[in-house]
Formats: sequence, C-alpha cells, structure tokens
Amino acid sequence: MRSTNIAKLKIEDLEKIARRMKKVIHLREGEAKAKIIVHMGTCGIAAGARAVMTALVEAIEKQDLSDVLVTISSCAGLCGQEPMITVAIQDQPPVRYVNMTAAKALEVLEKHVLGGRIVEAYALAANNK
Amino acid sequence: MAHRSHVMICTCTNCISNGALKIKDALEKELGERQLTDDILVVQTGASGLCVKGPILMVQPDGIFYQYLKETDVPNLVEEHFLKGRPVEALMFVSQGEDIPIPRLQDIPFFKDQRLIALRNRGLIDPDNLDEYIANDGYKALAKVITSMTPEAVIDEMQKSGLRGRGGAGFPAGRKWGFCRSYVLKQRAVQPDMPCYVICNADEGDPGAFMDRSILEADPHSVIEGMTIGAYAMGGTHGYIYVRAEYPLAIRRMIQAIEQAREHGLLGKDILGSGFNFDLTVFHGAGAFVCGEETSLIHSIEGLPPEPTQKPPFPAESGLWNGPTNINNVETWANVAAIINSGAEWFKKIGTETSPGTKVFSLAGNINNAGLVEVPMGITLREMIYDIGGGIPYNKKLKGIQTGGPSGGVIPASLLHLSVDYERLKEAGAIMGSGGMIVMDEDTCMVDLAKYFLEFTADESCGKCSSCREGAQALYEILSKICRGDGEMSDLDLLEEISEAVKDASMCGLGQTLPNPILSSLKYFRDEYIEHIKYKRCRAGICKQIMSSSCQHACPLDQDVPCYVGLVAQRKFEDAIRIIRQKNPLPAVCGRVCTHPCESKCKAGVGGGKPIHIKALKRFLADYEMKEGLSVDVEAKPKNGKKVAVIGAGPAGLSAGYYLALHGYEVVILEALPVAGGMLAVGIPRYRLPKDILDYEIEIIRKAGVEIRTGTKVGRDVAFEDLQKNYDAVLIATGAHAGLKLGIPGEDIEGVIDAVDFLRKVTLGETVELGQKVMVIGGGNAAIDAARTARRLGKDVTICYRRTKMQMPAIEEEVHEAILEGVTIDYLVAPVKAVAANGKLKGVELIRMQLGEFDKSGRPRPVPVEGSESVVDVDTLIPAISQEPDVASMIGRSKLKLTKWNSVEADAETFYTGVDGVFACGDVVSGPDTVTTALANGRTAAQMIDKYVKGEPLQRTYAVTRPLIRVEAVTLTEEETAAMKPAEIPVIGVTERALNFDEVEQAFTEETAVREAKRCYRCDLELSEGEPRSNA
Repeated sequence: MRSTNIAKLKIEDLEKIARRMKKVIHLREGEAKAKIIVHMGTCGIAAGARAVMTALVEAIEKQDLSDVLVTISSCAGLCGQEPMITVAIQDQPPVRYVNMTAAKALEVLEKHVLGGRIVEAYALAANNK
Repeated sequence: MAHRSHVMICTCTNCISNGALKIKDALEKELGERQLTDDILVVQTGASGLCVKGPILMVQPDGIFYQYLKETDVPNLVEEHFLKGRPVEALMFVSQGEDIPIPRLQDIPFFKDQRLIALRNRGLIDPDNLDEYIANDGYKALAKVITSMTPEAVIDEMQKSGLRGRGGAGFPAGRKWGFCRSYVLKQRAVQPDMPCYVICNADEGDPGAFMDRSILEADPHSVIEGMTIGAYAMGGTHGYIYVRAEYPLAIRRMIQAIEQAREHGLLGKDILGSGFNFDLTVFHGAGAFVCGEETSLIHSIEGLPPEPTQKPPFPAESGLWNGPTNINNVETWANVAAIINSGAEWFKKIGTETSPGTKVFSLAGNINNAGLVEVPMGITLREMIYDIGGGIPYNKKLKGIQTGGPSGGVIPASLLHLSVDYERLKEAGAIMGSGGMIVMDEDTCMVDLAKYFLEFTADESCGKCSSCREGAQALYEILSKICRGDGEMSDLDLLEEISEAVKDASMCGLGQTLPNPILSSLKYFRDEYIEHIKYKRCRAGICKQIMSSSCQHACPLDQDVPCYVGLVAQRKFEDAIRIIRQKNPLPAVCGRVCTHPCESKCKAGVGGGKPIHIKALKRFLADYEMKEGLSVDVEAKPKNGKKVAVIGAGPAGLSAGYYLALHGYEVVILEALPVAGGMLAVGIPRYRLPKDILDYEIEIIRKAGVEIRTGTKVGRDVAFEDLQKNYDAVLIATGAHAGLKLGIPGEDIEGVIDAVDFLRKVTLGETVELGQKVMVIGGGNAAIDAARTARRLGKDVTICYRRTKMQMPAIEEEVHEAILEGVTIDYLVAPVKAVAANGKLKGVELIRMQLGEFDKSGRPRPVPVEGSESVVDVDTLIPAISQEPDVASMIGRSKLKLTKWNSVEADAETFYTGVDGVFACGDVVSGPDTVTTALANGRTAAQMIDKYVKGEPLQRTYAVTRPLIRVEAVTLTEEETAAMKPAEIPVIGVTERALNFDEVEQAFTEETAVREAKRCYRCDLELSEGEPRSNA
C-alpha cells in the first residue's frame, strides 16, 4: 500500500508545507512567470474544459515554455460561461477568460501570457451578456 | 523613463468620428505646454466598448474614466487631474445599464461583491493537491483545536459564532453539536465504547442547486477538516459523506482527498500525532429527494428504505445504528475551519445579527451571470440579481425569484429590496433552503412553475404519509387543470385547503414544505391564476392548452398569426389576407405601426433568436390586397333598424363602427378633427403611415355602411344629450389627445409645444414655429415621432430621457432609425426648468439622473444626481411624456364619471359606463395604449352594444385561443433549412428620406415574405387537430 511510504504529518510540518507552497501559489522570482488555471468543475468539464487543458499543455510542451505553469482548479462560480481559464502573470492582477475553446485558449497563451496584452474580446466583462 | 500615469484614449472608428484624434492632439499639446510629457504618456487603444460615449479617456493606474470629451475640456482636465491631482467629476459620469468591459477581476461586480468563506479556495487551488490546501491555511484549524482547545471550547466557539445550518432549516450548528456531545457523554457513561457518527449531508437534489457539488469538487479537504473538527468536539468516531451517485467528479475528488488525508495522518488513527482517532467513508446515495431529511438519510446508510421516522428521538440521541449522530450539510462543514481560524467574533461581524456569515447561492434561470456566488447574509436581492448576477438576459423584465427549490417559495420582483437572511425570506413566504436561487423573467408562467415543482415533489414523495403522497398528487392535478384552461375559481380555495392539510399532517420536511411554491405564488401572483381560470389567458405564453400559439395569444385582436403566416409560406396570399380581415379592420395600418406583442412572444425569438417578422408579413399581405385590387369583404348581417353614435374616428371608434355596421346597425361616427383616423391621422407621422394607406382602409369601413362626419365636435356642434336621445347607444372613443405638462417652472412660455399638438399641426399642414435647436423630453413613441418629424423639418434634435436605453418604452426599430437620421438621444437626464429671455425659451436646465432603488414595478427608479445641473441652449422644447383624455367640455352635464386621470369610468370588461346606453373604450378609458388594443376594444364594445340594444345581459365569454382553420406546414428542403436566416425589413436610405415624409419602411418582396414565413415554427400544430375546442 502506498500509504505506508508516506510520512505522517506532524503539526510543525503544516507550517513548512504552507511556506513552501505559498511560493508556488503566489508566483515568485525564479519560479514560473505565469500561471494558467483551467477551471475544471463539472460545469467546466461538461462545457469542454478538457480540450482547453490539453491544447494548453501540448502548446507549452511544444514551445518548451518552462516558466508557464498550467494547473487546474474548480468552478470559479460563473458556470454559465465555462470553460474558463484564469491567467495570473507575476505582479499583475489575474485575468479571467470565459467561453474558452482550444483555439481561443491558444490565442490567450500567445497574446496575453507571451505577448503581455490582455485579449479583451474573451476577458470576463462586467454586465457581460 | 517611467511615466507616472498613462492616459488611454480610445481611437476606434467610432471615437475617431467623434473627434478622438483632436482630443489626443489637444492633450499632447496641453501636456507639452505644462511640461508633463515625461510624466504622462498618451496611449491609443482599441474599442473600449463604451464608444457611444466617445471620445473617452481612461487614466491609469487610477482607473478613472472620462467620457463625452470636447477639445475645450482638455486644458481644465490636464490642470485639474494631472497638475492638481483632482479628477474632474463633471466629465466622469458613467451611465448605468451599459456594458463596461473591465478585464481586471477585482473590478468586476460578479467577483467584487462576493465574500468567500465556504468557497475560500474555489478556483484558486488544485483540489487534488493537498499541499495547495495546506498552503492556504489548510488543516491549521484542526491543528489548533487538537493542540489547544477542549471539545467544550470548540463547541462554545461554534455557538458564539452563530453559524446556522446551511442545509435549509437554519438550526444553529453549535447547539446541535452541543446536544450531540451531551448524549455522547451520557451514553458513554454506561457504555464506554459507544460510537458517535458525524455525517455530511451532500444529497443535493433541488432543481437548480449545485452549491454542495461545487464545494466538494473545489475544496474537498475543507469538508474533511470541518468534519474532523466536529468529530473532535462531539466525540465522533466515524463519519460519512452522503453524496449522490450522480456527482461522479465530486465523489472521485472526495475519495482521493480522504485517501490523501489518511496517508498524511490527517484522518485515521492518531491524527497529527495527537492520539485522536477519526475516519471517513463516502457513501453513494441513489438520489432520492427525501434523503435531504436527516432520518431518511440515516436509514439509507443503514441499508433500509429511505423513509423518515418520527422525531424525537433526534439523531443526536439515537441516530445511525442507534448511536448519537450529528448531521450537517456540506456548506456548514466548509465554514468550520474558517471560523476556528479567525474566531467567532470575526464571523459574527459578517452578515446580519440573526444570520451571521455568508451564504452560497446558485444563481440559475434567466440571469446573465448564471453560477455560484457566496455573499454576506443580508445582501439585497437587487444586489444579487443585478450587481452580481448581471441582470436579466435579452432585456426582459424580472418577474420573480424562487428560493429554496421545490420546498421554497417565489418572491416577486417588487420585493427586490428584501435583504436575504433566514428570517426575511421566511417572512416573505419563501425559505433560504440550501441556496438555490432560480431567477425568472416575464416569460415564466407562475401557475406552470408551481405545477413543475409539484410534479417534482409528487414524484419524490416517499409515500410513507398519505397526506404527502396523495396530497401532492391532488395538488398537481388541480394545477394541471388550471393550466389546461379548465380551472374553476373554487380550485383556488381547494389548493389552499389541501396545501394546509399536507403541511399539517406530513411527518418530514418534504411534505411540510411541498405546498410552498403554490402558497407563495397564490400570495403574490394570484392574478395569474385568475387569468388562467376566468379569462383563459397565460400572459407568459407558456400554457400550451390555453394559448395554442403564443403569438396569437399575445395579440389583443386574437389575429390567427400561424394561419396567415402558414398560408404565406404556401404562397396563398389571398387566403391569408382574408384570415387577417376576419378580425382586423385595419391590416395595412397594423402592418405598419403595430407594436407587435406577437413578435415579443414568438418562440423563434426565445434565447436571443430573431422572432418572425409578423408585422411585416401582415403589411406585405395588406399591400398585396391593395395592389391586386382584391375585395375582401367580411359578411354583414341585414340592417336591424337600430342606430348607434360613435364619438371619435380613431382606431377604437372605427373598429366599433365597422363591427356594429356588420351586425346590421346604422352607425354615425362624429369626429371633431377635419380628418378621420384619430391619432393614426394626426399623431403618427406620415413617414410611418402614409395618408393614402389610412384613407384606403377608412374607405373600406365607410363602404361597410359607417357614416363618418368629420369636423363635428360633440359639445359644440352637437349636444351629448341629443345623441343619447336620438340613438340606441352611444360610444365614446375620443382617445387621449391632451399632452401632459412636465411640471417644471417656465414651461408655459413661447417656444414650448407639446408633442401631440406639434405632430397634429405638422400633419394637418398648419404652421408651427420651430427654432433650430429642438429638445424633446420623453422616451415613448410620441417622443421619437416628434424628434424624427422635427429632424425632417431640418432641425437639430436631441431627445432627453430620464432612464436608460434599456428601459425606453419606444419601439426599438424606431429608436434605431431616429439615431440613423441624426437625432441625438441623451439618457439619464431630466429637465429642471425652462430658461427664458425676453419671454421666449432660450434654454433648458437639465439634471443628470442615476438609477436608484427599484420601484414596485420592478424597474429601477431614476434619481437626480445632486449638483449635476447644467443649462443647454434650446430654441424649442417639445414635452412628450404622456397624454390624457380631454372630455369635460364634450360630456357636458351628463352623469358620466371621470377618474383622476381625466379618463371616462367604464367597466373594464364590458366598457359600459353605467349611464343609460353610453359605452366608452380605447384611450379615453385606459389612457395612452396601442393601436391594436384600441381596435380590440372597439370590437368588444360593438359586441357589448349589440347585447345592450337587444336587452341581453352584458357579459363577456372567454375561450382558450385556437386558430380559425388548420393550415398545413410546408415541407422544407434541406437547402432551404440550411439557408434559413431572418429577413431584414427594407428601409429607404437616410439621405433619401432626409427632409421629406416619404414612407421609410418598405414592403417585403414576395420571395422575402415566403422565405420569412417558412421560418415560422408553427406552434399551433403542436395541439392535436389545431381545431377550435368547445369551451363548455
């Protein structure tokens, strides 16, 4: 069984893990420059988040982008506009993109993550319809 | 060198045409002159989406937005904002109700107004990664309780926090834990190894609710941590997470999280090395609604049928396998760790006094931002629906909100100010429930909705209590009967009686709450029930058996839309116009100026689609009749020797006269104006309704035997009393031609002319003195008509409307054409006073408005923005806010009564005034309404007058809507289906129509008409024969 190989946590370990992980979560120097979160709740998956995820991962592998991290998370709350991705670039407020397709996600990767320009056409807007 | 500020100027086509480049030059020049070029960078950007307000500027990083800029504003702007650091408020006003793209997350109301506690990690962490949960304070609370808190202290903290169970009933979680612990202690005194169970109720089954699923998927460890803390406090030995099998992803992530927790010593034996033991199992529920009831859920885990049992004993005393048991729902558990970490005091500060904290809601139904939100308790429904939810799609009106799913109730739009907590919702007749919030627009039928929920609960009733089992079925059948159009008024009492009985006699929450959708909709939407029963109307256009097709049902004239559209598709144009003429004496008029309620209910238009151009098809057929010289007479009865006088030759009077003539009456219409047609002749401009068209239709009415005496004013040329003496009945149909005053100082001076007077003078060829700068006040069709007319006279025209474009009552196409013709429309602005010089109008003082709280009708009320007054130069002011009837001089000393709106009092159904033989209908009774309604009123008045003269009781009969005949659907080829697209109504070019009154809209060609008609879904054919059904 796998469980026997894993060390049981002690209380002081929690703090250590938290400190170590915060670096990854909050993008610091030396770590990834940008993080793309693909929202993979049931709503997102049903709307096609897997294809978005696959496209991003393949593109990042192909272009060998070591400083771009793709990760998953859950529903962001706007289930009506899934699939959604959140792009967090170091020192910038995160931008959320809605109604993604594989092609649109690649456009976001190219223009926003690599090019630094927010793709307004896909970005979540106030009062959006 | 870094600039301290960026000025983003939008240079899209629109803004450039509004002078954006000049603003940019002026800005750069001004910045240069003030040596600010190194500090401030001017950046050109693409379309911002708000370019109707162009030229616009955005100053970053402050995020300040300036609009409607003029070159002359620039020096002041630069001095104030960039030198003195004071943003210029006068230029900042942002209209509400417009789309503002804000790509930054924190500025978007959907996210900004939320407060995440239960959902604190949603969308942020990878739910499959324990380390990421730990990074965001995960398991910190568990560590805290097992190292530094006694179980009693934990329970005390939970009690102090005031956290109430989020599953529905809202029982304080801390107290529930306390009960459980006391039973554990008591029973362990006798039996030391007595197990205690901690259960998470994740049996989420309400239609439209998905909060629990989302938490399990997004943050499974938060539930594990909460349950483990609960187990520590109560003495729990084992826990169950009862999840529906229909949530596979939630189950997978939950199981994986439990394994991770176990592997890392966060579950199982000796948790975090503390000696405390607790483990969890995921139990797959089969998806029965009754398992939301805790005793049913417990029996389900025990492998027994999921039926409730009588309480007490409560599960805290004897629950799962007779052990002390505590059940809380997912969201409650997800709150626990956050409360322990930040403290009860912190938690209590959020939300309301009796309902602390936040609540997760799933926003579903007719709402732009459908999804999951977590908000502080006490937030108003308006904030939920409009700020966070982004409002109702397709500019539809909000009708109500169903909270609490099938156990909850509906809250009407008029209670939007209600703040959401357990008590307020209960007072309103709804419940918090687990947080489902279904938003419903005007196209939702409340009877149908109640029926939907009862169908659900009747199906989900476990059957143990006969009150619930039989009661739900009985209620469902009564609702079905009402929806079919077979209801009786006594059914309403019966619904209430059965509802009360089911509530009283059912053992568990399912039965006790299942009547709520009925009781609350009866409370707030009783009118809709009565309409279904008495008038066979479903205003939402949903109940199939009542309406047949929603277009026909929505038409005041009951025009057989699917029949004539179907005949057009078959190219049987003559048959089609005959169908129209059966129920409409003015088809060429309606085909041009009708407000087409049929199209707004057309099923082809649902969800943003384009409705069939029914109005344009009618016009096509009417024009076809004229062009081909068809004589489409409707059969008339022989003369009966009776005489009726109709006062007013507008649509109501013409229609009544026409149908009375067909009934065999001798009819005289007396018209004060020199022309017949009423508002059709002198209110609606010729470019919408040419004179020859109106004359053609009036001629048909004359030929039917109606005498029209123009230039004859009752009260001046004829005495009203004489009409009463000399005729068997009199119908007053004089309309509403007196324009209402604005009620502002100075409006009685030269240069102010009411829209109705203005339009009448122009159509009758009288002289009107207009200055070059014309301002029209109002947002209805009269305002647009007046503005486009003034524009045709070569004037510069601005319309000022106090609300936003979304709320403008004028026909959308008319507004669109007006803008194309060069009319400027200024929204959210209202006149304060007329400014005069030498006794003549010189300007108008305006004040900016903003949308405030919602009024009773569910519309946001415009409220003035203090200090935003400004004076605009205006030569002529045209108020076009509304009209009222003016009949005082006409009716003389008769006993007729007038309302406070100066309209004639008459029975709403029969139009009888109660004064011997005098009827009244149309705008003179209702105030300004549509042409079609006036025509329908006239037809009904004719039927009632016929009954009156014959001495029959004045009573109307109502039947469900059915088409006149069955028209077969055309078969479409695959190419036709593929090429199907909505037709455009042809219009003449803007330059061709400038400065003249030529008709703007043109008729469809035969080909276009047939193609458009083929798009029709033919909803009428969904009912078996399409034949009229006897309504006995």
